[in-house]
Amino acid sequence: MNKYLDYQSSKPVDSRVVKAIIPYLHDKFGNPSSLHKTGDDATEILEESRQTIAGFINADKDEIIFTSGATESNNLGIIGFALRNKEKGNHIIISEIEHISIHNIAKYLGKFGFTVSKVPVDQYGRVSIHKIIDRITDKTILVSIGYANNEIGTIQPISEIGKLCREKNITFHTDAVAAEGLIPIDVKKDNIDLLTISSNDIYGPKGIGILYVRKGIRINPLIIGGGQERGLRSGTENMPGIVGMAKAIDIMQNEMQQEVRRFKGYQDQLIKNILEKIPKSYLNGHPKERLPNNAHFRFDGIEGESLLLLMKDKGISVSTGSACSSKTLEPSHTLIALGLLHEEAHGSLQLTCGRFTGQEDIDAVVNALPGVVERLRKLSPLYVEEQ
Amino acid sequence: MKSTQYSKKVLDHFQNPRNVGTLEGKDVAKGKVGNPVCGDLMEFYIKVKNNIIEDIKFKTFGCGSAIATASMITELAKGKTIEQALKITRKDVADELDGLPPIKMHCSNLAADALKDAIHDYQTRQKPQVEPTKEDKEHRKGIINAEEFLDKGIYYKVDDLLTFKDKRVIVLDKGDKSIETAIELTKQTPRVVYVTAAKEISTNPDLNTKLKQSNVKVLYESEIVEVRGMNTVEKVLIHDLNEDEEYELFIDSLIILQ
Repeated sequence: MNKYLDYQSSKPVDSRVVKAIIPYLHDKFGNPSSLHKTGDDATEILEESRQTIAGFINADKDEIIFTSGATESNNLGIIGFALRNKEKGNHIIISEIEHISIHNIAKYLGKFGFTVSKVPVDQYGRVSIHKIIDRITDKTILVSIGYANNEIGTIQPISEIGKLCREKNITFHTDAVAAEGLIPIDVKKDNIDLLTISSNDIYGPKGIGILYVRKGIRINPLIIGGGQERGLRSGTENMPGIVGMAKAIDIMQNEMQQEVRRFKGYQDQLIKNILEKIPKSYLNGHPKERLPNNAHFRFDGIEGESLLLLMKDKGISVSTGSACSSKTLEPSHTLIALGLLHEEAHGSLQLTCGRFTGQEDIDAVVNALPGVVERLRKLSPLYVEEQ
Repeated sequence: MKSTQYSKKVLDHFQNPRNVGTLEGKDVAKGKVGNPVCGDLMEFYIKVKNNIIEDIKFKTFGCGSAIATASMITELAKGKTIEQALKITRKDVADELDGLPPIKMHCSNLAADALKDAIHDYQTRQKPQVEPTKEDKEHRKGIINAEEFLDKGIYYKVDDLLTFKDKRVIVLDKGDKSIETAIELTKQTPRVVYVTAAKEISTNPDLNTKLKQSNVKVLYESEIVEVRGMNTVEKVLIHDLNEDEEYELFIDSLIILQ
């Protein structure tokens, strides 16, 4: 049996969600734009789903825009906002450890006359409010900082950032994909103006997500067409996806608390055992302010892709921030922003649990990892054993 | 092709690498090649007798294909003459392994270069030893922006270790006192980096042992070129003297004892 500890990369769709979707693939095929009964039925379920999703983040129903997923939501939130509000200013602030989609969106906006400042993080991956303040100018219109980091699991001081932005009259976007389903999200309490969440990250289908747009925040659409989603996102609604996402949220609202408690137990075991059993091993990310399903390590003298392949031989699926496993051959920008050297960033291992993780998965990792690390260190010119 | 879609032969050499280890002795030549961007590092040891590579060993820090190519070339080179061994190309190694993913051809296929480096070392040893003219390493006059960040992350003395609690600190090599400071600082923060232009630390054995046992990360053959940040120190530009490469490192504080 494959032991899967890479929930951050992809999650299975919950079978209860699959069951909820099936009627919308065939029997209930209506288009909400149609005026007949079949269309009306679709409209009803569309708005019901929207209400469920809004409730999950304490938003109002008409603040939810359906998209094709987190990448599109990030594009719509940032590019859509920037282009609409260009006359107010051309400066945007993000953090050094944002998801690659945010980094590349920021780079793209550079071509349209925007400048982007990146806020550094501390060695645990937390953004400091002072460092944001240092970067705010009278041209700053938007701050985009992820709710929690998808790699190292560090949770940001979202409430403080939201408060700061509201005081300074700057719009605040947050990509909450890594945090959703693990931390209760409240857009009102935290003064969030734009927020991205996806469906797959809460065990719903891929290809659907939302952008929350607070009332009063103006954005431009990126996809133009028949004017669906109040003209902000045209294209016939992905009804099976929307129904699936709403069902996934329904389940999550009932089970999140219990699930998180279970993850914390696994996380404690992983961190304690791995740091104890493997010499020269370190935890990346924040010791306390971290997602309950995330354990991220680095090991002196070894490289992550080799580690990943040997774990694969043992039937365990894990992830690494090593350059050798990436498309660009660059090490993870997040690990570099923590202040790690390239060789240190290479020796990293990311373990993320999820709904279907069991004790046997945790045991398998704890049993296999020390031997795998030792084996690679024997090959390594960078690792000298202590006398 | 995904990096994990390796040929059976690559996986075999990765899982069961041949000729791992080091060789010792006066007649052993050594070669080393690294790719600082990707981070792979390879060391080769060869023993040559009557112009034939009699024994060969390697150590590698790197991904699956780095380990496999190193292992493969030891098999190709063993028993070959120096001239034959010098003719082994990157492509030969990749072909023998039934191919490598394209993205890995450049980055991890360093084995042929590392072997050449070892042979070059052997050939140099055969020639009469010429005392190399001592290059006076040109020391930098100073670190760019150091004055600007004084007391904003740069410190010329350490009054209170608590200033550095949970900070990422670089301590610049200024002799024994700076080593002691670096070790002391590990009580306040998990991240202390000691930067020295030297190849190894020259201090008394006692302090050297203490440093090795501590959590201080030592960066050898490195110099700080420039300090960067907005209002306070946020990163430094480091010059790797060995590779002649420059890279940025995120830090919070830099200690330059006077």
